Amino acid sequence: MSGLQGGQAVAPGPIRLSRLPDDQAAIQPTLLGASVLSNENIRADYWSLVLDAPTIAERAQPGQFVMLTVARQGEAVPILPRPMAIFRWDAAAGTIEIVYRLVGGGTRVLATWDRGEVMTVVGPLGRGFRLKPDTSTILLLGRGIGTCSLTALAEVAIAGGMTVYAVASGRSREGVFGGGFYREAGARHVLEVVDTDGSSDPERLRGDLLDMLDASGVDQVFVCGSQRLLALGVELAARYQAEVQVSLEAHMACGLGYCHGCSTGAPGLAKEAPLVCTEGPVFVSTGRGSLS
Amino acid sequence: MITPRLGVRIGELELSNPVMPASGCFGPELGQLIDLNRLGALVTKSVFYEPRAGNPAPRLTEVGGVMLNSVGIPSAGVEAFIAQTLPRYLAWNPPTIVSIGGLTVDEYHRLAERLAGIQGIAALEVNISCPNLEAGGLEIGADPRTVEAVIRGVVDRSRVPIIAKLTPNVTSIVEIACASEAGGATAISAINTVVGMGVDLAARRTRLGNVTGGISGPAIKPIALRMVWSVARAVAIPVIAIGGIASEEDALEFMVAGATAVQFGSVNFTRPDAMLRAIDGIEAWLGDRGVSDVSEIIGSLELAPSDDELPALNEYGARTDEAHAARRGA
Repeated sequence: MSGLQGGQAVAPGPIRLSRLPDDQAAIQPTLLGASVLSNENIRADYWSLVLDAPTIAERAQPGQFVMLTVARQGEAVPILPRPMAIFRWDAAAGTIEIVYRLVGGGTRVLATWDRGEVMTVVGPLGRGFRLKPDTSTILLLGRGIGTCSLTALAEVAIAGGMTVYAVASGRSREGVFGGGFYREAGARHVLEVVDTDGSSDPERLRGDLLDMLDASGVDQVFVCGSQRLLALGVELAARYQAEVQVSLEAHMACGLGYCHGCSTGAPGLAKEAPLVCTEGPVFVSTGRGSLS
Repeated sequence: MITPRLGVRIGELELSNPVMPASGCFGPELGQLIDLNRLGALVTKSVFYEPRAGNPAPRLTEVGGVMLNSVGIPSAGVEAFIAQTLPRYLAWNPPTIVSIGGLTVDEYHRLAERLAGIQGIAALEVNISCPNLEAGGLEIGADPRTVEAVIRGVVDRSRVPIIAKLTPNVTSIVEIACASEAGGATAISAINTVVGMGVDLAARRTRLGNVTGGISGPAIKPIALRMVWSVARAVAIPVIAIGGIASEEDALEFMVAGATAVQFGSVNFTRPDAMLRAIDGIEAWLGDRGVSDVSEIIGSLELAPSDDELPALNEYGARTDEAHAARRGA
């Protein structure tokens, strides 16, 4: 799953999440017919899609997403566009790159798109990650395709002179993505951990991260793709007085806030819960409790 | 090529063209991507008297070429609607049709009373596809007597056209349409979503947090066409078609079958500019054929090879004429 692609909204569980403050530039999505520049299988079931999307490349912020209409022009299905994190972009070239994983019918159709075809795309959307001005060290915790929400943030942080520690987690070696990207981007230290050898176990990962972080500390922790990584991030943040931001995933239809398909709503609420598309996808942890 | 007239009338309501969004599949947020001033009308999400949450996640899924949703119509309540939501619609030029929902007959009536006289509301669309808490959760729109009572009470409390939005989840949609007309409705809109469900076999779970949900998308178009055709033949008031409409061809098919206007739903997600393209497409289609006014095509469906053989069809399209009945009996 990419940052937002498919899947169920991550149950907020006992960790209390809040909206980020309204201090970022207004989100100004555009509707484009974007030419496919390339669409390739890059490793295992991970694919890279590069689109000619100048207005999106110009406005994108780390953690924002786009809605990709997988149905070709003149075709009616798949009906629902797919929300996808923007893996990275090049404002000068006017291009954006999406990394997706073949997980279902929608992404299987997406993989058939060829160079030169024109795709309906809306973006950039959502509230992205916020780097605080006084932050000097960040920790990125991503699992599977969830890492693809964090990659652009790593680039921006490193370009801003920050120290980046990154964890890329997955079920197996093939399921881990982003380790090479982080190293090339200049991350200080990258841990690639997997379920198959037990290295992704939160107990073990906590020990490895403490060894890594105790000397430097950390100012902000960014998480995507795993409830267990979020819990670990919150625990580490308490130790280092750091802030935690998490990007949630949800099924979406409009991406703009009018359909209410992506509410984080749990049963029994008296009023509508925050929407992942416009009030997220990035939320800030405020400790333990339910989403508010 | 002539430039055809696209304006249509729903009672006193004049629309610059027959294309509008379907309630729930639209919000002023779409104005970030397209020019909403080109639409025939704007239609709000259903407002309820009291604030209410929607259903638990997941609320959306796509299975077998259809979209299933169990959003559950979250509403901030009528006061927040008047103060905050409505002005965002009224910032645009097309008339705003306010969709109203209720869980009891009285809730619809209290809503109509509260909304009466609020500046800028061009019409009310009464969403009767809501569970009736007074009748064990059966849809309000499934019982003709309840429908007539809801509509009559809303009409009595309002000064704007009242559109009854019908559910397809009934035995006879014509019976419900006639009850709406008897209650004083200005127009009918049909259809709402078709109730359905999805199962995730591997997980042995339902695909929606609410177990069941509404089916929408191009797959329901034939269901909607049959129902719009049946209703349009049975009532004297205008019919607004909804159900899998995604293009000018879809819109025109429904108009030929008897609809005066059309609403676009799920396609707004797939193609945010679908309504604008369809308006251009309708104009071009009519122009190419020398049709000077879109009204000329409303109800122009030809049923049989020749008028001499026009069969008597019931609401479901089955033949009811004597000759046919006799043949079957022979």
